[in-house]
Amino acid sequence: MPCILHLDMDAFFAAVEVLDHPEWAGKPLVVGSPPDKRGVVSTANYEARAFGVRSAMPSRTAYRLCPHAIFAPVRMSRYAEISDRIMRLLHSFTPMVEQVSVDEAFMDVTGALRTWKSPEAMAAAMKNRIRSVTGLTASVGIAPNKFLAKLASDMKKPDGLTAVPFEPDAIVDFLAPLPVGRIWGVGEVTEAKLHQAGFRTIRDLQQVGAPVLVPLVGPALAEHISRLARGLDDRSVVTESATKSISAETTFDHDISDRSIVRHVLVDLAEQVARRLRQSGLVAETVTIKLRFEDFQTMTRQETAPRPFCSDRRLLDHALALFDRQKLPQPVRLIGVGVGNLSDAATHDPQLSLFPDPEVVTEERQARLDKAMDGIREKLGPRAIQRAAGLENQPKKPR
Amino acid sequence: MKLAASKENILEGLQKIQSGISSRNTLPILNNVLLRAKDGSVQLTATDLEVSVQTTFEAKVAREGATTLPARRLFSIIKELPASDIELTVDDKDTATIKAGSSVFKIIGISDEEFPPIPQFEGQRTFTLDQGLFKKMLAATYYSSSNEESRYVLNGVLLSFKDDKVTVVATDGRRMALFEQEVEFPESSSGDFIIPNKTIVELVKTLGAEGPVKIMIGDNQAAFAYGNLLIITKLIDGTFPNFRQVIPSQCEERVSLEREQLLNAVRRVSLVNDKTSSVTLAFEKDNLTISTSSAEVGEASESMAIKYRGKAMGIAFNPDFMMDCLRNLTTDEVALEFSDELSPGVMKCDAPFLYVLMPMRIR
Repeated sequence: MPCILHLDMDAFFAAVEVLDHPEWAGKPLVVGSPPDKRGVVSTANYEARAFGVRSAMPSRTAYRLCPHAIFAPVRMSRYAEISDRIMRLLHSFTPMVEQVSVDEAFMDVTGALRTWKSPEAMAAAMKNRIRSVTGLTASVGIAPNKFLAKLASDMKKPDGLTAVPFEPDAIVDFLAPLPVGRIWGVGEVTEAKLHQAGFRTIRDLQQVGAPVLVPLVGPALAEHISRLARGLDDRSVVTESATKSISAETTFDHDISDRSIVRHVLVDLAEQVARRLRQSGLVAETVTIKLRFEDFQTMTRQETAPRPFCSDRRLLDHALALFDRQKLPQPVRLIGVGVGNLSDAATHDPQLSLFPDPEVVTEERQARLDKAMDGIREKLGPRAIQRAAGLENQPKKPR
Repeated sequence: MKLAASKENILEGLQKIQSGISSRNTLPILNNVLLRAKDGSVQLTATDLEVSVQTTFEAKVAREGATTLPARRLFSIIKELPASDIELTVDDKDTATIKAGSSVFKIIGISDEEFPPIPQFEGQRTFTLDQGLFKKMLAATYYSSSNEESRYVLNGVLLSFKDDKVTVVATDGRRMALFEQEVEFPESSSGDFIIPNKTIVELVKTLGAEGPVKIMIGDNQAAFAYGNLLIITKLIDGTFPNFRQVIPSQCEERVSLEREQLLNAVRRVSLVNDKTSSVTLAFEKDNLTISTSSAEVGEASESMAIKYRGKAMGIAFNPDFMMDCLRNLTTDEVALEFSDELSPGVMKCDAPFLYVLMPMRIR
């Protein structure tokens, strides 16, 4: 049976702020928009949560609930820097790491466990390493699949370590008392529908089959919910080397109509994506940009490169060309860039060249530049060096 | 403008300039053909601003003049006309009336003054070649040129006039085809000129088997005159890579192969290829095995008896590159020269032709 770990940093943004501002320790802290501006709470620390402050709540509401809280702006680059360090730590335990967001990752430790006494011992060592290197705490869930691991990591926050039973019957019992809203994929709307039909706990769902749920939520979701209610989830941990695409996106704090600002952010995102591409030893053939407008309308534009690439320059050329061709009929809420059609860089193009191709020479120079920049980022943090075009950046919310 | 001509004459003329009309023209005038009636003939001109094609057909010109008419539509109409004697009249508003038998068409044209001017050549260098030979040289090489926009200077075929020879070269950086022929021209006319792929395709299509072709080179234009056709093209601006340096001066092994047999074997084996895989040619005593394998598709191999006494070795090539060359040759045999698995292979036939082909790394 597989063994999956889910690691979730505790109130990550807030914890980093406390780390950098020791004088804020023990006081309610809200990271996000200032209370007098339109905008929302990104993260609140546990002291602020005690007052009812939650993520995604308008900052104004947070201020009403907890007027004496410290309000700090989001410093994404600092969080990304620490996140990078944490992810590298996780990679030292197993190569099977799937980073879900800046503060969260799944790991398939089925193989790596051979050198450990138990999954708990390994998870505890992970938590200790993170604490000693970064000073931050994490909560870890241990389970036979991703759904249960994520549930488990959330059971005893902060600084928790929870293992879910591995026997099918015990799993069913473990899930039974939990509310239906805890099922992955059950959002507010679906939850309300289930409640209306009398399904409040996962036990209620376990007692009926998927067909009963079909009229409520449709066949696909019914099957999904029904399986998860029994603790069945066969999604595998997808490491970056097995990924089909790599992407990054940013939601603006407020919608942006100034093209040049969106363009700056696009440059920054493209650099992140190209760097991850290189870290994974891959080359890409397609470039996609994604734009979401004020009214939530989302569009993507894609183009295929003539030859596979992994350099900042080549990705930027394609991404910016796509963007510059695109009209912005409305203010932009979200911008993203991704690459696809990935293949292993090492085995690529076995065809030898007749003469040094100026294009190849340019690309080799680009590759040296990227390598130097990656080295600097490795040493001094992901934003230690950036293209000037990506600098005038708006503060960002997490993905 | 008023004239009478036979359906055959008009059609033949229009057919020749059709390819000068691009379907993706943004300027409406470029969809039109320029007609200029004078002295018992009509000159037709089409251009997409990069390549211009000009020809003439015989006609009884009652009133001289010029206009432009939508080329494709004019062609369709003339082709469908029931009678062979056609009368064409154009009024001063550029509306053309076409009469044949009982059919009457009126089509709206655009003034000839709006048609882009066709470049004139001054102080040009001139070369004369045999049409059939020039066609053969182009056909044997042009498939090796590159279509990658980023390799602009390779998006054409090099005509190098030097030391009483013309050398036609095309390469995409991985393989190179070269055809060389002696030709007379004044020393002062020597030079390298890169003709865009599009023009080459047009030349290969329209050059005849005999008669001369006159090649005229201007500062950034070239013209080819043959039969009653004139093709004017932009030259690609840039320096072609040093192609002499790429030709191996010596080789370890040389083997003579039957062209058709080799072509068919490579084609069959490559049916299991995916887009990045190669075919391997394994040489051993009097035997050649051509094989390929692809993780996703499968594998294939085929052996043939050859005369070979050299060292046993394998060398891998892109099968498309091999087939491109083999398909465009006409000789019964080809010679393949090679040294090791990482050095270029060379295919030769008895003509002054050679094809340099870089191997692929065997994984």
